[in-house]
Amino acid sequence: MAKTTATLAELGRRADAGDDGAMYALIDVAAELGVDPDDYKTWTALASFAESRPKAKAPRRRAKAAPAIRTQGLSKSYGDTKALVSLDLEVPKTEVLGYLGPNGAGKTTTIRLLLGLIKPTAGRSEIFGIDTQRDPVAAHKHTAFVPGEVSLWPSLTGAETLHLLGRIHGEVDIAYRDELVERFDLDPSKKVRAYSKGNRQKLILIASLMTRADLLLLDEPTAGLDPLMERTFRECVGEAKERGQTVFLSSHILSEVEALCDRIAILRAGELVEVGTLEQMRHLTALQVEAQLDGTVPDLSRIPGVHGFEVHGKTVRCQVTGPMEPLLRALAKAGVHHMTSREPSLEELFLAHYGGSDAHP
Amino acid sequence: MRIRRRDVYGEGRAARALTLNSAKRALRPGVLWGLVFGALVWSSATTYVKAFPTRASRLTLAASMRGNSGFAALFGPLRRVDTVAGYTAYKVGYTIIIIGAIWGLFIATKLLRGEEESGRWELFLSGATTRRHATLQACIGLLAGATGVWLTTVILAVPAGATKSAGIASSAMLFFVTALVSVVVMFMAVGLLMSQLATTRHDANLFGGAVIAAAYVIRMVADSDASLSWLRWASPFGWIENTHLLTGSRGVAFLPIVWFVVILVAVSYGLASARDAGASLLAGRDTGKPHTLFLGSQAGLSVRLARGAVIAWTTIFAAVGVVFGLVTVSAGRLLRASPGMNRAFGRLGAVRQGAVIYLGAVFLIVAILIAVAVAGQISSIRSEESTGHLDNLLVRPVRRSSWLLSRVVIGIVLIALAGVVAGIAAWAGSASQHAGLGLVELLEAGINVTPPAVVVLGVGVLAFAIVPRAAVMVAYGLIVWSFVVDLVAALFNGNHWLKDTSPLSHVTPAPAAAPNWESAAILVLIGLATCAIGVAIFSRRDLVSA
Repeated sequence: MAKTTATLAELGRRADAGDDGAMYALIDVAAELGVDPDDYKTWTALASFAESRPKAKAPRRRAKAAPAIRTQGLSKSYGDTKALVSLDLEVPKTEVLGYLGPNGAGKTTTIRLLLGLIKPTAGRSEIFGIDTQRDPVAAHKHTAFVPGEVSLWPSLTGAETLHLLGRIHGEVDIAYRDELVERFDLDPSKKVRAYSKGNRQKLILIASLMTRADLLLLDEPTAGLDPLMERTFRECVGEAKERGQTVFLSSHILSEVEALCDRIAILRAGELVEVGTLEQMRHLTALQVEAQLDGTVPDLSRIPGVHGFEVHGKTVRCQVTGPMEPLLRALAKAGVHHMTSREPSLEELFLAHYGGSDAHP
Repeated sequence: MRIRRRDVYGEGRAARALTLNSAKRALRPGVLWGLVFGALVWSSATTYVKAFPTRASRLTLAASMRGNSGFAALFGPLRRVDTVAGYTAYKVGYTIIIIGAIWGLFIATKLLRGEEESGRWELFLSGATTRRHATLQACIGLLAGATGVWLTTVILAVPAGATKSAGIASSAMLFFVTALVSVVVMFMAVGLLMSQLATTRHDANLFGGAVIAAAYVIRMVADSDASLSWLRWASPFGWIENTHLLTGSRGVAFLPIVWFVVILVAVSYGLASARDAGASLLAGRDTGKPHTLFLGSQAGLSVRLARGAVIAWTTIFAAVGVVFGLVTVSAGRLLRASPGMNRAFGRLGAVRQGAVIYLGAVFLIVAILIAVAVAGQISSIRSEESTGHLDNLLVRPVRRSSWLLSRVVIGIVLIALAGVVAGIAAWAGSASQHAGLGLVELLEAGINVTPPAVVVLGVGVLAFAIVPRAAVMVAYGLIVWSFVVDLVAALFNGNHWLKDTSPLSHVTPAPAAAPNWESAAILVLIGLATCAIGVAIFSRRDLVSA
């Protein structure tokens, strides 16, 4: 508990006077003590109770300068199979990073290495400057994790699960937890075994978001959610970003990544093949061009940077990498009736990386 | 492209796949239990021949046991205990019957309700089969497991009975094994039915366990007084007794057994199609008020998850202690009349005679039960990891060592509780019969049998840390190994290095002999040291799923 006795009393008075900031601070205090603020008639009463409790621990030390995630040569092999090959990645604080890759590319392996659930074959990883292998417990104080495949204790109810996971994490924003239960439309009185896959996913999402952890590690977090709940999830990630939380989002839903992420990292067969903003990636990849000509379509095969062209009568479709000028000059000679060009979508970028030899990144 | 007929997975092939899957999973443990049952029969017949070598000693034994309603209530009626056949049936019959009933129930609920609970059953049902047919196919798989028990037991038991000194006809031994294995089949059928009624495998086991307990109690009442013997017809265990195991082999008594199995399978077959997949007829409560008493930490959660097993085992040890305490005086009288039995116990280390010898032997059985209870804890620890539940704790600020240590502490508490409760309960039972045994003496006897379980705990934790997928097998394997080594060792004089590998062989049969606290301390130290090594290694390895 960070607050001094005097501060707590003052917080109580301010919260009773309607100060939202003081109220949220006391909610944090209540969460640290493991008590429900609703059990106290006034905020002053809660503050008095908190004063009477022995001081639990010093405020958490946070490595201000370190990035949220840093990996250096992080590798993991299972026998001859290389699940992750020398991953060098840095995720600055407050960034939302989309982590893409086909099945078996090494996304979940990366997250499990970051969490210290498995040991690297080589390399190291840090969370806020804390070595995740040497001191996973300290690293976990800054993180919240949502797995793609949720497996919870079937005999516990949703409320019991949230209570347990909150107490184990140590810090819970109880008001936000209750708000999340409402927003995700979850019935916490049900036992986990009675929940559908989607509801179990909601439960683990709430359990992670309610901690307001500095880093959210999300592995396919919307698997099983309906479109409405998916929208709620996107709103929550947006709010987390506004609050200054860092988000590491592994997902197959490209529209989700496109909408939420500041940067995107693409993994292929355990190797990081691309990292950057969507804009940077678009500049590096081909532009889609479609033109309807007045005359005969010229020979485009010798024009530098043009590939994948298709000709249907006087209409031509092609992709252009690099400067557009040579193509425009060639088409202008034939007389351009109508022309469109657009940047590739994330899906096209993704397929370009995984489409095999036909693709033109 | 032409599709060849054999490329198409028709209903026949889907059915075969489900049957084979169930059969494969039932057969391996079935064969293992068959080995244990066969070894029990072999050991009992050999022990009897050695302990009662003459006609006179056998008649003395029979005379001393006659009319003892306490023994009859516990182990069934005495028939021809002056013969190897009669004594073998009496000695090992109920051990095999109880183990067989429990295993039959557990394997059936595992392959039916367990599969349904995990969601795998739906995968089967999405194939070319129906709910009813899938249930029937699982039954056929279970039958393969029962056949495995039967065949392995027969392979060991028939030659053991056919020796010149034992003189048990092969046909009688075949009948005996068939009757014993019919218990497995009956309780497989009970498990099948409970899998239709209960929501979870845990509940199905609980309901089935209640059926086993009720059947045993009814049988006990029936055997405690001749006027109540008709009650045997109300209990599956009574039906087995009515077959006159190795002492007459009455085939007609199989009729209720066959009807019981047929009716239960038919009802289950009907219920399987009447209910939705994943649903049950006795729906459990799926909502409830939060109870957060133990949910403040990972250690609290471990206590909450283990408390059911701890309470159940403590109750079992209390019941076992009281029951064995109640028959101490009668057993003492019997043993005083049997020099051969005294010699046999002498080889186990007994130095006193009479009632204390009986309790000394009983507490060695308690030692095995405590070890089994602890192996169950290893299974529970591994299950937390293989199901992925442990991930939820270890991605939060929880040390791996703290989590495993809390589970080790629960194991040690279970061991200590079991020993103390068994000792106190045995004292209470014997005191009610004025056996003249002191509380401290029996408390010591209870504590004396706990060290082997600490070794099982330690070896299990070490195996969990090094070879997690084999941890459960290693823990139970050590018990079976110790049991078999002890059985073999009991038949021969002298020390052998093989005997030293069994934690059970280092336990003296207190109160028949003074506890050897030095040996006990060494066993406890070995157990705790292996636990510590296991905890250290676990902190350094990858988490491994199922």
